[in-house]
Amino acid sequence: MEAQKVDMFIMTNAKFFESHHINSIRERLIVLDDSKWPMISTLQLKDPTTSLIISILAGSLGIDRFMIGDTGLGVGKLLTCGGFGIWAIIDWFMIQEATREKNMQKLQQFLY
Amino acid sequence: MTLNRNKLYSIIFIGCLAGYIWLYYVATQSQTDPSVEACFIKHTLNIPCPSCGSTRSIISLTKGHFTEALLINPLGYLITIILLVSPLWMVYDIITKRKTLFEFYEKMEYYLRKPVYAIPLIFIVIINWIWNITKEL
Repeated sequence: MEAQKVDMFIMTNAKFFESHHINSIRERLIVLDDSKWPMISTLQLKDPTTSLIISILAGSLGIDRFMIGDTGLGVGKLLTCGGFGIWAIIDWFMIQEATREKNMQKLQQFLY
Repeated sequence: MTLNRNKLYSIIFIGCLAGYIWLYYVATQSQTDPSVEACFIKHTLNIPCPSCGSTRSIISLTKGHFTEALLINPLGYLITIILLVSPLWMVYDIITKRKTLFEFYEKMEYYLRKPVYAIPLIFIVIINWIWNITKEL
């Protein structure tokens, strides 16, 4: 793909990924076929900030985990009142990273 | 954090261990002690959460009061099953070096994401929550 397109993608979507992933995403996108561009450019990614807000407001019910797609862990949080409240607090700090990892997993389906 | 077999098993192990310690702690405490409350929502908002009362439910289950446990919180049954089955399943998996529990977990996750199963279950949880609030657990 053209470097210009790739850089535009990186610029607009950098906040959705971990910083150490961005370089490999860029390298991978450059060698990728142009036919995949429509799919990649319209990919629905989860905003880490939104999941942080949800985690603070409704983390004890596990809704943050449900939202990013970790349904099993969400059920676990729901059944234990947010892991006795401790897991809910831990997730305030973990959920953004988890969201970015989920976004990376989503993008990886198209990259490889 | 990509979930793999060992990560899931450590999460389940820590969860079960915390659950058993908590149950032991509550069961050996005096019943009337009001400070024994884990729930964050109940402390801050004074409203019981969907799974409030599951400790009391499990404790009455261990005493053999099955209907009482159901009336306090039906989720107690589900938590009891998880607490009993998952450690045994995990030990079996670790001994035989398989990952049947992890595969089961992924399959359940796949089904729970489907709206056909997710929407009724969400309704059940919400109804249980409303019931909890009216019971004033």
